[in-house]
Amino acid sequence: MTAGILLLTIFLPWAGALFVWLVGNDRPRLQHSLAVGFSVAGGVAGLALLALGSPDEMVVLSIGGAFGNFSFRPDGLGVFLATIATVIGSLAVIFSVDYMRHEAQLGRYYALVLFFIGSMSGLVLTGNLFLMFAFWEMTALCSYALISFYNDDPKAVAGGIKALVMTQLGGIGLLIGAILSYSYLGTVEINVLLDKAELLPSNVLGIMAFGFLIAAAAKSAQFPFQTWLPDAMEAPTPVSALIHAATMVNAGVYLLARFYPAFAGVPGWQEAVMVVGMLSALLAGLMALVATDLKRVLAYSTVSQLGYMVYAVGAGGVFASQFHLFSHAIFKALLFLGAGAVIHSAGTRDMREMGGLGKQMPFVRTVFVIGALALAGIPVLNGFWSKELVLEAGLQGGATWMFGVMLFTAGLTALYTFRCVWMVFWGEPHHPAHLHDAGPAMKTALAPLAFGTLFSWLLAGSFSHLLEKTLPYHDIHAVSLVEILEEVIFAPATWIALGVVALGVLTWVFRDSLRLWQEVFAGIGQTARQSFGFEWLNQAVVRTTIQVAEDLRNLHTGVLNWNVLAIALTLLVVVVILALGA
Amino acid sequence: MFYLPNIVLVVVLALLGIGIYCILISRNLIKIVVGLQIAVKGAFLALVLAGKLASQIDVGQSIALTVIVADTIVAVVALALAVQIRRKFGTLDVHALMSLRR
Repeated sequence: MTAGILLLTIFLPWAGALFVWLVGNDRPRLQHSLAVGFSVAGGVAGLALLALGSPDEMVVLSIGGAFGNFSFRPDGLGVFLATIATVIGSLAVIFSVDYMRHEAQLGRYYALVLFFIGSMSGLVLTGNLFLMFAFWEMTALCSYALISFYNDDPKAVAGGIKALVMTQLGGIGLLIGAILSYSYLGTVEINVLLDKAELLPSNVLGIMAFGFLIAAAAKSAQFPFQTWLPDAMEAPTPVSALIHAATMVNAGVYLLARFYPAFAGVPGWQEAVMVVGMLSALLAGLMALVATDLKRVLAYSTVSQLGYMVYAVGAGGVFASQFHLFSHAIFKALLFLGAGAVIHSAGTRDMREMGGLGKQMPFVRTVFVIGALALAGIPVLNGFWSKELVLEAGLQGGATWMFGVMLFTAGLTALYTFRCVWMVFWGEPHHPAHLHDAGPAMKTALAPLAFGTLFSWLLAGSFSHLLEKTLPYHDIHAVSLVEILEEVIFAPATWIALGVVALGVLTWVFRDSLRLWQEVFAGIGQTARQSFGFEWLNQAVVRTTIQVAEDLRNLHTGVLNWNVLAIALTLLVVVVILALGA
Repeated sequence: MFYLPNIVLVVVLALLGIGIYCILISRNLIKIVVGLQIAVKGAFLALVLAGKLASQIDVGQSIALTVIVADTIVAVVALALAVQIRRKFGTLDVHALMSLRR
């Protein structure tokens, strides 16, 4: 029963991808219906799986035993991320019905989106490291292909390649970890690895821990890989909402949380994780403050919020990080889809050309404001509870100065969120034409997300019970909802954070009286606009690579005989090394 | 000295050497395919020999059989390509086919 439903969350979207692709682009109506049908069925399977999570149930697909079997394990961490992937995936597909209505090549679009949803479920549910690596790369491939979906736009193609290259770098870290696990423990079963982590030599465990950290940082667009996510915003907006806000970028945080029990003892690892999270949160928050492209603001804020989750994992707050991940997935998908509705009707992504859209798009304004309040951490929305839990975990498990930086970033978040909402929905209208509100399919997708943003924090208690029951190695103590609420309300950290958030909001409200300060910080704004030099660094790496390739070009003779000679000589060298070694 | 595995080993090395040498010096595509075939025949023999020496004769022979299938496909495709190249470019000289270089 559980096994069947688990496999359905992977194979229903994949089957949908196949059918949509086979139908062909001549019948767009059928493609829309098929995609919605299969993704919603996948979402239902995901929700059913949520009720069935348990540590003992396992699905094992035997592949002959060479690298262990393909195993899937419906435990708390995996089940709830699979639910997020399938449910938000189905909402993004429903949204696409309006958003992609008259686009060409729908088959390619829907096939990749559905393929992504299935791969994401597989990534979080599998219990085999090699299989995890395979799913990891599948999601990267879908992400790349969907960023470059408008493949006649050079910016989209460049953004896709950038995302692909950077996440590949991370994938190497994951693969090295899997190979080390196989060579030292003889297995790639994740639970065996967690169980026997202390049997590994400490340097090997260290390599694995930091390799996984690189993998997570690249996938979750954390420092120093944060530059790919803003460029990924060339993708169609439902894709940004699904892949680059709600699901795929969470895979890094998921990886860190999954392996936290094994790596927590590695010296320096927890501190490194916290510093990575903190720097990402701070730098991305500053960049969001000066960006003028609506989707880029949201992308920077995604990096910033992911920084909070990474920081929480480093501080030992696995539950806090996963809870914030859950809240963030809902409200950020809501914000992105709301932004998609705005962009779809305004025809631009530049916030300076918007303004005063609130009156013309009342529904979108309402849901967007709900999402924005959650992002800013205003009670009693879901973002408030989870962010407070993260900050509290950080105060308990990490240095106080880091907590201070995260507090400052919380204020920054409130500031840039209000700036963004104001520039889009209030203020002077810069757009002459009358704009239409969101279409019916868009509203169908936005309403459940807004509802979730308002009420998903009520699930915190059962979520922590699920995690305690199903994660034998993580040492998570179940707490009921009331206990969590009491803990948050009575913690001094909460009130400090609320004060900082209020300060951020006030900074925006009284921005005119603070002109003097704006000029003081103009220099920081200027560096933030240039992404603190990381863009330059990326360009430098690309330039060097191209230059080296140019220089080595002479080796590329194209003469078959030379190639064979090189192969034969290498073979000889290998034989000699083997002979000497033996 | 005239122990059977030694003789087989000499044959393996000879086949591999002849094959690689053939690929190394010939410019004609058909000859290169022939050289490749000779080298791969050495590899079959090596697999069977390795199976025998490790007293896993069945494994060695079944892998050798698999390689025979793969190798046949390689030969067929390579010869088909050679035919097409001859038709399109009018030559089988690999040096004349260099288009990668500026």
